[in-house]
Amino acid sequence: MSGESLIRVSGLTREYRMGAETVHALRGVDMEIRRNEYLAIMGPSGSGKSTLMNLIGCLDSPTCGEYWLNGVEVSQMQDDELARVRNREIGFVFQTFNLLPRASALHNVELPLIYAGMSGRERRQHAARALERVGLADRMAHKPNELSGGQRQRVAIARALVNDPSILLADEPTGNLDSSTSAEIMAVFEELYRQGQTVVMVTHEADIASHARRVVTLLDGVVNSDTVREAA
Amino acid sequence: MPLFEGLRLAFREIAAHKLRSFFTLLGIIVSVAFLVAVVAIIQGMNAYVSENLAGAIVGRNAFQVRRIPISVGLFDDEEWRELQRRPVIQAEEVAFVQRAIPDALAVSLQSGWPTPQADVSWRNQTVGDVLVFGVTPPFQIVQDYVMAAGEGLSDVDVRERRRVAILGYDVAEKLFDDFDAAVGRRIRVGRTQVEVKGIVEAKGTVLGQSWDGFVMLPITLFEAMYGRRQTTTISVKMARADQVAGAMLRAEEAMRVARRLRPGEPNDFTVDTAEGLITFWENLTRVIFAVVPAVVAIGVIVGGIVIMNIMLMSVTERTFEIGIRKSVGAKRGDIQRQFLAESIVLATTGGILGILTGWALAQLVAVVSPMPARVTLWSITLALALGAGVGVLFGVYPARRAARLDPIIALRNE
Ligand SMILES: Nc1ncnc2c1ncn2[C@@H]1O[C@H](COP(=O)(O)OP(=O)(O)OP(=O)(O)O)[C@@H](O)[C@H]1O
Ligand SMILES: [Mg+2]
Repeated sequence: MSGESLIRVSGLTREYRMGAETVHALRGVDMEIRRNEYLAIMGPSGSGKSTLMNLIGCLDSPTCGEYWLNGVEVSQMQDDELARVRNREIGFVFQTFNLLPRASALHNVELPLIYAGMSGRERRQHAARALERVGLADRMAHKPNELSGGQRQRVAIARALVNDPSILLADEPTGNLDSSTSAEIMAVFEELYRQGQTVVMVTHEADIASHARRVVTLLDGVVNSDTVREAA
Repeated sequence: MPLFEGLRLAFREIAAHKLRSFFTLLGIIVSVAFLVAVVAIIQGMNAYVSENLAGAIVGRNAFQVRRIPISVGLFDDEEWRELQRRPVIQAEEVAFVQRAIPDALAVSLQSGWPTPQADVSWRNQTVGDVLVFGVTPPFQIVQDYVMAAGEGLSDVDVRERRRVAILGYDVAEKLFDDFDAAVGRRIRVGRTQVEVKGIVEAKGTVLGQSWDGFVMLPITLFEAMYGRRQTTTISVKMARADQVAGAMLRAEEAMRVARRLRPGEPNDFTVDTAEGLITFWENLTRVIFAVVPAVVAIGVIVGGIVIMNIMLMSVTERTFEIGIRKSVGAKRGDIQRQFLAESIVLATTGGILGILTGWALAQLVAVVSPMPARVTLWSITLALALGAGVGVLFGVYPARRAARLDPIIALRNE
């Protein structure tokens, strides 16, 4: 089941200049993502999955092409506007967790709210609720190195959720986890999806992708296939 | 990011690297401590010199008619020969000055520099190297002497060249246990026997030197013992400070009349206050004040460069952290403020530590040396402003570097 259009990219191109050479990471991607979709992006290594995710996540800007998010053209935005979109619209989960090593789980989750300008008390309440949602109510004061890999990724997911983003992006979120922990994390995504969260996830593994309702495969910087499976 | 959050982060970061922060700040601490300590000592000396030294030498609201001007510097040969040709101040000239300034509280004559020294003894007690003055009685008013025992010198003592002496407090204390019993005792000043007539209340120390180690004789007796001095001096004391300048002009006129100087002829005497001494001191401190900022500036700039280096290092070390912050929505300004807050807090901490060190240094100097120290508010304010200023100035560049980092590149920096 899918709602209105959330993201539309057309002719999205990203080139990297490496001295005299130019690497074409994306060569014109056209794609639409609707609200409350659960989308997996697959493809061989180097096909441009992470590049596409970084563009959608506003961490990077395209060389050319258009990117519309919630009816706003993001591809024309400057640094600070992109930061605002990252802060309000997007929750990004990385393969390597990317948590502040010396800060507690709670503080890590608070981080986006700090930059949203929320007051301290409200911030802590929101962060605590997000941690409860991923099942870490009892680990709030722990530092990342006092948590398991799966728990760290839950903290990262809580941080991605805390601002109520339009879309949750995850680039190989289980890439650094063993299979049973991966299953736990996938269950978290599944649950978020059921609650109405739009999820886009990059993965290598077919059984991870099988959680998604739609699978897009990239090859050499372009969309190779786009399959929608009807929910069971 | 709100200011409070930035400050909190800054303090946490500094606390996490205490030793590194301390060494980073060494330059600032030393410069600021130097500034505060030197200013404190000079300010203390200034106040001291104008409050105590001048009064002790010349007397409060007083001036002198002298053969040789009061000076701390050296005269050149030409000036010196000129001064040597001047006639000695005569006892008769006191009357001229007195008549010209009827409102003077006192006009006295006293033996001048160099003051002879003598051993003073009573029975088997001896105090060595006591300064010996010869004065007329009004000198006791000029110096605001208060008698601790007995009485002061009188006109009769001078006229009849009586063998009496007034003792300074230190001398009396070393010779006698009971001051009242001391009055009337016969003591020896050098080889001359004199009778103790009075003891002067303690005046205290000025620049670590006691002003109570003297014996005062009638000037007639003094001149019989040591001969007529080349430097005999007239002192005039006025009731109020604002009367001094006018009285000095009248004294000058009276002296010119006494000396029968024709118009246009230069004075062959000097009317002087300790002003010259204070001026000399002020000139000296002005030189020091000109040098101090230069030294402090160099120290602060070096300290600032150290802070900038450490901040740049910190930006490099924390590239990953910056990447995380930017990926969750930190704007350039947020990152820039965070790092700027850190360098300002760092430098201001250095300023505060410097103030404390400088203050402690000044206190130490005040305790172990006769130099008084006065820590002034403006030097503390200046030191704090300097610290914060250095933080801003040398923090901007690292902060901008941090703010401009690209989030994905920064994240790859784990
Ligand atoms: N910063 C960069 N500079 C130069 N080339 C880059 C950069 N980032 C990616 N590339 C190149 O762009 C292409 C796509 O990279 P991307 O990381 O998107 O692949 P991917 O599909 O995520 O691969 P993987 O499955 O291994 O993560 C690759 O050929 C890669 O070498
Ligand atoms: Mg990738």
